[in-house]
Amino acid sequence: MSLSPVEGVALAEIESDGGVGEPAAKGVVGRSPGQLAWLRLRRDRTAVVSGVLLIFFMVLGLAAPLIEMVYGIGPREQFQNLLDGFGMPLGYAGGVTGDHWFGVEPGLGRDIFIRLIYGLRTSLFIAFAAALITATIGVVLGALAGYLGGWLDVVINWITDLTLAMPFLIIALALTPTITLRFYGERGQVSAAFGVGVLIGVFAIFGWTSTARLVRGQVIALREREFVEAAKASGAGLGHIIFRQLLPNIWAPILVSFSLAVPQFITSEAALSFIGVGLSDETPSFGRMIYRSLDFLQTDPAYVFFPGITIFALVFAFNLFGDALRDALDPKSSR
Amino acid sequence: MRPRVAVAAGGAIALVVALGACSKNTGEGTTVDTERQQTGVIATDPKDSQGPAAEVSGAAKGGTFTIIRESPISHLDPQRTYSFAGLMASPLFARYLTTWKDDGKGGLVLVGDLAETPGKNVNNDCKVWEFTVKDGVKFEDGRPITSKEIAYGIARSFDPDLTGGPTYIQEWLADTAQFDTKWDFKKNKTSLPPGLSTPDAKTLRFEFAKPRCDLPFAVSLPTTAPLPADKDTGVDLDKQPFSSGPYKVAKNQVGVQITLERNPNWDPNTDPVRHQYPDQFVWTFGPTADAANNRVIADNGADQSALAFNAVPASLVARVAGDASLKSRSILSPTPSANQLVINNQRVKDLKVRQALNYAIDREGMIKALGGQTVAAPLTTLMPPATIGYKAYEAYPAGANGDVAKAKELLGGQTPELVLGVADNSTEQQQGAQLKANLERAGFKITLRNISDDAKLDEIKKKDNPWDLYIGNWAADWPSGASILPVLYDGRTIKAEGNSNQSYFNDPAINAEMDRILALAPAEQGPEWAKLDERIMKEHAPVVPLYVDVAYNVHGSKAGGIFISSVFGYPSFVNAHVKP
Repeated sequence: MSLSPVEGVALAEIESDGGVGEPAAKGVVGRSPGQLAWLRLRRDRTAVVSGVLLIFFMVLGLAAPLIEMVYGIGPREQFQNLLDGFGMPLGYAGGVTGDHWFGVEPGLGRDIFIRLIYGLRTSLFIAFAAALITATIGVVLGALAGYLGGWLDVVINWITDLTLAMPFLIIALALTPTITLRFYGERGQVSAAFGVGVLIGVFAIFGWTSTARLVRGQVIALREREFVEAAKASGAGLGHIIFRQLLPNIWAPILVSFSLAVPQFITSEAALSFIGVGLSDETPSFGRMIYRSLDFLQTDPAYVFFPGITIFALVFAFNLFGDALRDALDPKSSR
Repeated sequence: MRPRVAVAAGGAIALVVALGACSKNTGEGTTVDTERQQTGVIATDPKDSQGPAAEVSGAAKGGTFTIIRESPISHLDPQRTYSFAGLMASPLFARYLTTWKDDGKGGLVLVGDLAETPGKNVNNDCKVWEFTVKDGVKFEDGRPITSKEIAYGIARSFDPDLTGGPTYIQEWLADTAQFDTKWDFKKNKTSLPPGLSTPDAKTLRFEFAKPRCDLPFAVSLPTTAPLPADKDTGVDLDKQPFSSGPYKVAKNQVGVQITLERNPNWDPNTDPVRHQYPDQFVWTFGPTADAANNRVIADNGADQSALAFNAVPASLVARVAGDASLKSRSILSPTPSANQLVINNQRVKDLKVRQALNYAIDREGMIKALGGQTVAAPLTTLMPPATIGYKAYEAYPAGANGDVAKAKELLGGQTPELVLGVADNSTEQQQGAQLKANLERAGFKITLRNISDDAKLDEIKKKDNPWDLYIGNWAADWPSGASILPVLYDGRTIKAEGNSNQSYFNDPAINAEMDRILALAPAEQGPEWAKLDERIMKEHAPVVPLYVDVAYNVHGSKAGGIFISSVFGYPSFVNAHVKP
């Protein structure tokens, strides 16, 4: 396979490094590692395709209200006249027509396409925000614990163990009603933003431990290496060593865990919404939609198909892009 | 290589799913006739209570009838039986004072089971009742059943260790809800509870402090199953009940399988309802509703004479209903379990708002959201059609999809803001979304608030609950208005917690009318309850009747005689047989 551009790039690097004597004449320019990574990424067809797909999904999610205007159907409108006596959509493939591109939901008769678009927005936002926060917390705590060691390492490890040992579901279940009651009383309308916030918060509190452990292990392996010693000897500070020396060397596993975390959060969001933590049925959500559609696998496969194929494409694109990004950042790690 | 393989796999999945989705649904053949006319009476002629029960056409003796259920039956001990599965299994090995002769089409007759008639109202004031025990009724060891064993059965239901069963008779005899403190079974094992006596071996006598006109119905529950004192194994009776019915427990692997074999000492000539066709009944527990129904649909081997006790799950409904070959193997029948959109009358005091809600309701949409005619049938009355004396009416004709114009007219431009509390289970979430959209079309402003699923029942039973609307369900223990209207709409029963009157409806005139009807003879009450039902709805509209649950079960090609009990709404086994 010639998908990997690594060989070519390696050559370019050697040339640029070994370009002695004829500076600027051949247009050989010095490139920063970031530029090199970007170059490699751009030459990787998989990365380009999956990256474009991801951007496409994000644009769809962001443009949801615009799409609604053009499409002419809202996410809560019901079309129960298109359902038969069992609440199943009439017509082909779950009620696909010119008006309803992906058909209608069995039971409530809402349009699947527009709910998918809105759901994509909610779910992508939750998953991204949660993954970013968990990764940040995990990286900072893991790197500090790994590099500094000593009592800080003990304390951070202890907190990690404690978080891992906490019964995630029970705490989420016990806290959510209390927080809801605190903010909205017994009769107030709970806003969708609140549900989203609670979900992100829950994921952030419980999701950072694996990244922290991963980073700590990697940092411990690297901290005695010569380049770190050299930086220390030249008087580099803690921030410089961690963020400029150590972190660039462990981007690969962090990115992989990030790209795995996003789809995982999308599915967890669905599961949590069903036990009353987070979103209610009013907020269109991708995970919730898939969760519900699974009941109709035998009777209305189209309802499973459209959200299913979308999440398949989304997760697949994420993983491929994560892979490609890792390769681009760290050309030495061959497949 | 990896991306290509994945793309190929994705394409294959897409193709398979797309092919599956590409048959056109025209909506034809999906109308299910769930009509049946309920008629219920109490047998006055003792001949009705005599055996043997009429032969079931096409039934033959022999074979093993299997019943597959997801979870085990909670109690086999008749005095502790109250779950639906238990109530349906119990008649196979236990007989009661009275029982229902049920033709499965709505015709219900209350007949004497162990008793010769459904009770004698001695002074016509419902305070003293006498039952005469039939000749020739025997236990599984051949001993005759006398009034002493029936009385002992009732007495042991006072034991606080033997929880789980219905408590009507105990509460009525003790005239207090704390019946187990009023009369201590453990200290008085040789005597009988207050008010219960056995003047002779054939007679059982109940004396109550207050009129209890529903006693003939209440003694049709398994509390009145007989038991000789020397066979009382206490809590262990759950594993091996002592049989008085056509079958006895031959083997009980707790939680896995129960095997029932014929009881040779059961005399068909004494029994007006039960048969003894199969050699064995086997209850197997474990498979999920999906798995059990798929097994029965596949119709292989022993499953040919099997019934999936769990109803056809929503995910399989369209498949079962769409398959013409399964039509003869499926039973579809409305049950007496009624569901309402309960209005909290303490909060929604404006009658016009309550009436507007009744006009606005889209019952067809609600039923579609639940999964269609195989799951629910529309209801416009307080009592379900399976009630004795039932009369159909529509106090607020809403049509199939609700009369939005009429609702808006009643509201007169107002937009009442109502809070709808829904449990966070998948069904109620659907219902919540449906109701919100439905009612907002009619000019209401609905706020949905989630209630934790397991706490919902306790929460809405609290008098000061914060919600205006919630979904309520009531399945009565016997099909009499007396077990429905006074329980749900008598305002004098409202207490701080644990209310059955979840609409917190209280009207002195209605309360007085209930007292009047309750004092009538049981046979006269039916039509009066129906009149009161209509009056409550017309004058007060305390709830929005929504739908009755529909039972939908499939059985194997060799299983016969299964019908849905008009009393409990679950498959009944008294006529069950295995086709040769």
